[in-house]
Amino acid sequence: MAKKIKGPQMILANRLDDGRVVFFTKDGGWNSDTVFAAYGEGETLEALLVEADKSAANNLIVGTELIGATIDGDQAYPSHIKHIMQAKGPSVRADLGYQVSADWERR
Amino acid sequence: MYAYDKFDRSLVDIRVAEFRDQVERRVKGDLTEEEFRPIRLMNGLYLQLHAYMLRVAVPYGTMSGDQMRRLAHIARKYDKGYGHFTTRQNIQFNWPKLSETPDILAELADVEMHAIQTSGNCIRNVTSDQFAGATADEIADPRPYAELLRQWSSFHPEFSFLPRKFKFAITGADQDRAAVKWHDIGLIVRKNDAGEIGFEVIVGGGMGRTPVIGKTIREFLPEKDFLSYQEAILRVYNEQGRRDNKYKARIKILVEAMGAEEFARQVEVEWEKIKDSHIDVPQEEVARIQAFFQPPELANQDATSAVTSEFAKKNFIFASWLQNNTNAHKVQGYVNITISLKPHGGIPGDASAEQMDLVAALSDEYSQSEIRVSHEQNLILPHVALKDLPAIWADLDEAGLGTANVGLLTDMIVCPGLDYCALANARSIPIAQAITKRFDDMKRLQDIGPIKVKMSGCINACGHHHAGHIGILGVDRKGQEMYQLLLGGSGAEDATKAAILGPGFDEHGIVDALEKVVAVYLGVREDGEEFLSTYRRIGAQVFKEAVYDAA
Repeated sequence: MAKKIKGPQMILANRLDDGRVVFFTKDGGWNSDTVFAAYGEGETLEALLVEADKSAANNLIVGTELIGATIDGDQAYPSHIKHIMQAKGPSVRADLGYQVSADWERR
Repeated sequence: MYAYDKFDRSLVDIRVAEFRDQVERRVKGDLTEEEFRPIRLMNGLYLQLHAYMLRVAVPYGTMSGDQMRRLAHIARKYDKGYGHFTTRQNIQFNWPKLSETPDILAELADVEMHAIQTSGNCIRNVTSDQFAGATADEIADPRPYAELLRQWSSFHPEFSFLPRKFKFAITGADQDRAAVKWHDIGLIVRKNDAGEIGFEVIVGGGMGRTPVIGKTIREFLPEKDFLSYQEAILRVYNEQGRRDNKYKARIKILVEAMGAEEFARQVEVEWEKIKDSHIDVPQEEVARIQAFFQPPELANQDATSAVTSEFAKKNFIFASWLQNNTNAHKVQGYVNITISLKPHGGIPGDASAEQMDLVAALSDEYSQSEIRVSHEQNLILPHVALKDLPAIWADLDEAGLGTANVGLLTDMIVCPGLDYCALANARSIPIAQAITKRFDDMKRLQDIGPIKVKMSGCINACGHHHAGHIGILGVDRKGQEMYQLLLGGSGAEDATKAAILGPGFDEHGIVDALEKVVAVYLGVREDGEEFLSTYRRIGAQVFKEAVYDAA
């Protein structure tokens, strides 16, 4: 599933239960907020990927995908418009973005 | 409306139980995602851009008030309080949880609905004229035949793994409101010289990356042979359709490669083999199904309503709504109402749970508990008395459903685009919103007149841009959203492919370009001439010069 993309990359997937988009985090978990997202390239990325795939094997997430990242300081953000949309939620329903959907989170 | 018999009931109940078990096994890890994916797709459950998406079938776009109320309940309980009506007359929920999906399907089964065959390479939901059985320009109600197709195609063992998805549309009216020529199989009810009912059969239409207008392979198929002939078409396609390349796998590619004449010949050969093998249902069964679709008994009404006429004189928006959002019923004193799901600044095709509840309540009170979904992503209340229109419009308007734009420029077909869809290259909803804001003046819209704008966020053409008088196609240019402008398409009986006008635009430029196209039209149109006729008369060049030379 690893695609050859140049430069730093992040790992994106969907949670099995609700399908929502999550990013592999620096502490080896998954979070919808890119602020926690791990990134890397070369061997660092390969090592991250091995860890991320363990979650897939545990049936926590599906569809692991490497995506291009833009680095600002020590934080990574998706580069492509599609992945930016995935990180933010629908641009036309700001009330449904992951960062503001507290009620949805509590269900 | 059709009511489930014990076989229908049993089929959906068994399917819900089966899927519940499959979901449990997936969550426990007994099924891998690779194993589970085709199973969830067969039950209408996609994994979309942000989350799961459940597509629920609304067979031939007809549902009851109770069914609409159940959709509202599902939106409220299991989703985020809204749903999205699609060009296949279905509804999509954008945020269901996997573990709750079996409960949703059970709730749907309870009101005779399901999500079966709303995905996958099988025969999808059959679409039809939203005014079927209620319009003055109809030869016969096409819904009994659509229901026959539904029953024949549901779990059809031979056609569950076709080379690609397969879409039927059927209309009973001369005016094609179901885009039949853009379907894998399009059917038009015809009457022969002897007054017998039959069907014109059109095959090989489709949109996507290779837009093709279907070809008529039979001018008149007798009613008694209805299903066996469809079976013969599907057999030829199933055997010879390409399976090596998904972009070449639709029937349109086969028909183009083979030629319509040769395709028709092979269908006839196949049909000869099977036509007498009891695929067609006996006339008594056709009559049994037709009985479910008998016109309602409507009380006598005057041809005009003083209450409605007086209200229209006082309220310009209502007068516009009366003109644009109602059409002639076959019974005097009645109309069909089209409820616009295209509020200016809103999301085309979306309805909140509260709006769905209101439409259900209005259907109970005014339209025999009947509701329709159009492929243009609006809702219809059929069989409404003319005198009731002011009260209905007032309720709709209060709920944000009173927009008087049906058939006008802002009544756009718009796919979910990159706001929701994993396949999309560009957003389409924000462009639609910008267009509706630019053309927010009802008097201006009225002056522009009937015009169909259709927009897709990618080449798959879910927003029917090939069939738009004005089409907009979102593309990805090096990671940037860009938009191509197309002109001259039609999804009606005069089906035509729209042509790309020139280089694409950014999100602001496309709205400006559309406005320039409209300005050209207003400047050169002849008395009473609608946009498409003007385009056909003068061609693309004048529009091209206005859009690009002045840029």
